[in-house]
Amino acid sequence: MKTARERTALITGASKGLGLALARGLARKGWNLILTARNADQLRNVRDELAQITHVAAIAGDINDPAHREALAVLSRGHAGLDLVINNAGALGPSPLPPLLDHPLDELSDVLASNVIAPLGIIQSVRRELKPGARIINVSSDAAVNAYPGWGGYGASKAALELASAVLAVENPELRVNWVDPGDMRTDMHQAAYPGEDISDRPLPEQRVPGFIALIEGDLPSGRYSISELLPAALEVA
Amino acid sequence: MTAIAAPVDFVLPAELAAHEPPEERGLARDEVKLMVSRVAENEIFNTCFFHFPDYVSRGDVIVVNTSATINAAFNAGDVTLHLSTPLSETRWVVELRRNSRKGTAPLLDAEAGQLISLPGGASAYLLEPYQHYPRALSGVRLWVAELRLPTDALTYSNVYGAPIRYDYVPRSWPLSYYQTVFANEPGSAEMPSAGRAFTNDIVVRLTKKGVTIAPLVLHTGVSSLESGEAPYPERYRIPPGTARVVNAAREAGGRVIAVGTTVVRALETVASYDGFVNDGEGWTDLVITPERGVRAVDAILTGLHAPDASHLSMLEAFADADHLSLAYANALDEHYLWHEFGDLHLILP
Repeated sequence: MKTARERTALITGASKGLGLALARGLARKGWNLILTARNADQLRNVRDELAQITHVAAIAGDINDPAHREALAVLSRGHAGLDLVINNAGALGPSPLPPLLDHPLDELSDVLASNVIAPLGIIQSVRRELKPGARIINVSSDAAVNAYPGWGGYGASKAALELASAVLAVENPELRVNWVDPGDMRTDMHQAAYPGEDISDRPLPEQRVPGFIALIEGDLPSGRYSISELLPAALEVA
Repeated sequence: MTAIAAPVDFVLPAELAAHEPPEERGLARDEVKLMVSRVAENEIFNTCFFHFPDYVSRGDVIVVNTSATINAAFNAGDVTLHLSTPLSETRWVVELRRNSRKGTAPLLDAEAGQLISLPGGASAYLLEPYQHYPRALSGVRLWVAELRLPTDALTYSNVYGAPIRYDYVPRSWPLSYYQTVFANEPGSAEMPSAGRAFTNDIVVRLTKKGVTIAPLVLHTGVSSLESGEAPYPERYRIPPGTARVVNAAREAGGRVIAVGTTVVRALETVASYDGFVNDGEGWTDLVITPERGVRAVDAILTGLHAPDASHLSMLEAFADADHLSLAYANALDEHYLWHEFGDLHLILP
């Protein structure tokens, strides 16, 4: 069997924020894209925009829904294997962020489902579509390793995602599993963490993309990375 | 979809088209010729399909299409209407062909809004060109039509239709000539013909040998004999049992042998990148090319394909163009017969 030179990435939460910025960045690099997000209208706009420059397949849905994850697997089968999965979609929890003692447990349960169970579910669904050496990027947060008041629920979920990523990495040496702290960004999610506050001093997600591209197109092994550490390398490559 | 370049270029002499079923040439179904390609050794053998079981081994799985052929051709005065693919109960993709003394030829100048009268007081109302069809031949061959039938389409076709045939088959044959021994579920506009040579005897011999036969369904639309266009979407279903049997055979080192291009299309549609076969059903627009390659299927039994058929490009996923050139030169030399009533080609790794 001949191998295609084409590279294909699956990105969740691709209709806005970091997911959209990454989709645009990879499209410009010639990657084929499989995109998903909950908002069908926004996702359709993204697909129409990026279809001008690369092959894009998009299907709207909730990554917490096993049927939707299966649909993504079916969509992936139509491609010549996956080189990259970016688990970017996630949930913040209540806005403003409550102290842990006040955190509604049903909402904490939703946060854990979206940030731990669903990303693992995505990887399980497409496991047979992954090319040898495929890279999995689970988007995390520095709240996974540092204790910030109010960030306990979200941070605990990201800490769980990071440990799950680390175990995936040792269980699957043929894959490259990265759990990545992108740093604070001017996104809807960050705004929801600080409702009513001015977050315009935070960088745009587009400014993080070169760091991600350096990780994606480089040969760094499995492990935890912080995009702010990768950016100098990205600038050197550029 | 774009036109696909054929890997083998030749002109098919008219006498090498199978003009009638082999039974009318004094042969049993399983006595058609069989060409066997061993691609790794670049070897070609000429034998008879009766010996097909000799070329498979214990542990291999033969996957067959159990779709049955329907009477999909209807005489409508000076045109013939072919039912290709149902989009709903009453809405079908249809092909229009102009009747001539020799047979039929594509009719490309029909117009949306046209009403075609069909036998038995039925009619087909042309809604719009079929969107999946590329603008080949500078006209529209396939239409989306609203059918007004006195009964359901299958019953209607049983009463008023005939099997689709082309110029090289000069007379009409009953539907039974267009059914394989595996046919179980009506829905194909044209026979999945690679399975035609199988007989009860062959099936029993395969079974005794320890070879498993596993079913799937892919309902074929009208074939694309007129140009080098890519196939359009077709309906498929892979039962869970077939997925399990195929995966178990692969795991144990057995070969997966597809009977016909329809089986390759269906199995590869549900095949993961690593070759694992999933069950499932739906529509497939998958086109197998040498670039796409095959993931789950190791070998194919198929007929001989016209020089401009996209199927030849699919064969290149099993054998390189040099081997196919050799095989087709051999088939021409040895007077193999082409098309649905013709001879067969087994391509082994």
